[in-house]
Amino acid sequence: MTDVTITVNGSVRSASVPPETTLLKLLRDYFQLTGTKLGCDVGDCGACTVIVDGMAVNACLMLAAQADGRQVLTIEGLATKDRLHPLQKVFEESGALQCGFCGPGMLLSAKALLDDNPDPSSHDIRDALAGNLCRCTGYSKVVEAVQDAARIMRKPQTEEARQLEMHGQRHGR
Amino acid sequence: MKSFGYVAARDSRHAIALLAEHGATAKILAGGTDLLVELKDTQRPPGVVVDISRAQDLKGISLTEVGLRIGALATHGEIMRSAVIRDLCPALVEAAHSIGAVQTRNLGTIGGNLMTCVPSMDSGPALIALEAQVTVAGPDGQRRMPLSDLFVGPRRTSLVGGELLVEIVIPKPNLGKPAAFQKFGLRKGQALALVNVAASLWLDRDRTAFVAPRIALGAVAPTVIRAPRAEAFLDGRAVTPEAMDEAGRIAATEAKPISDFRASADYRRDLIAVLVKRTLATAYERATATSKERVS
Repeated sequence: MTDVTITVNGSVRSASVPPETTLLKLLRDYFQLTGTKLGCDVGDCGACTVIVDGMAVNACLMLAAQADGRQVLTIEGLATKDRLHPLQKVFEESGALQCGFCGPGMLLSAKALLDDNPDPSSHDIRDALAGNLCRCTGYSKVVEAVQDAARIMRKPQTEEARQLEMHGQRHGR
Repeated sequence: MKSFGYVAARDSRHAIALLAEHGATAKILAGGTDLLVELKDTQRPPGVVVDISRAQDLKGISLTEVGLRIGALATHGEIMRSAVIRDLCPALVEAAHSIGAVQTRNLGTIGGNLMTCVPSMDSGPALIALEAQVTVAGPDGQRRMPLSDLFVGPRRTSLVGGELLVEIVIPKPNLGKPAAFQKFGLRKGQALALVNVAASLWLDRDRTAFVAPRIALGAVAPTVIRAPRAEAFLDGRAVTPEAMDEAGRIAATEAKPISDFRASADYRRDLIAVLVKRTLATAYERATATSKERVS
């Protein structure tokens, strides 16, 4: 068994796991953080995308032991208690997700992109999301949603809240 | 996954000691993007996985007195973001960008990509076109060799048991040598290369003729190969679109592509001719752009 301690969504969590345990299995089966999805399990579909030390990675391709001592952000840590992350709000309101299975990975890939590049072109967005497969939407609404969220997030905080409100009204919420 | 033993190496010395201790039952884990897929699939897992991903001395990208040093554990993402590589070796950025997707590029390492030794690897051609060297460490110390000597056959390198790839070095004389990389896959993202090509070149004093052109081809032979006859044809010849065309045609005859479910051998030969021409043209554009900057 290998002892692993990681900081997930700001909380320090530990577990003793067999060495062959992936970070994905650690999150889902040991920490009950099932928002991170198991899709292809070989790094192609991106459903298991999480952010480790600021970088989007496939949790299925990392051993839990390799994440020991590191900071992990999963979909459960994206919203605060009071409100959704602007990406989540825009995705929800504009119907950028349909079945939603790819959503947690899509959102975290998009967050990693916007953290690094607050004003991405549609090409930048497609490049950043190339590792996240969606079988429902055809991607157009996803790309538009990331652009909308980026625009809103570039505004100062009060303005950001106002824009989110307007975005909600436009989409009939 | 079937169960296996696990031990993390503190640094390259510790890794070599662990490899010596566990012998043939050990498998090295770096970025894991290939190894984990393999371990999930196998019925015969290794006795112990030696995790080198925390070995600081195998990381980093820096200029040294011998050239540009890229630690074996540098990820494709780090290579893409490296200011010094973007400035001096943009072909390496193009190659790194063509691999997988963001998530796999943040995990996968250049050393791991080379050590898989698959013919379609995207890290190989640009490094070969820039005549990269590699440093290998083992129980008896370190040795340096041309990267081309690392490649023996599909999934076979020249490393012997207990050895570890430490770093890749672009020799100082080749830093800033105009070069380009292009890959043709069935999609833009997450696709293996049907063919990938890199070319590098200098220009003569009048900036009208090729000097020391290097052409490397991937996915069209048992390993990444050079195209020496196409190189010899160009060396000293005036830079013209026709010369680049002809170099592409010659290079296509130097490869030994196979037909498989991704593409036929004939299609791959056609792609070589096109990609050689394009990479030469891009490298030439870079050569002339650099000269303008130097004049102004």
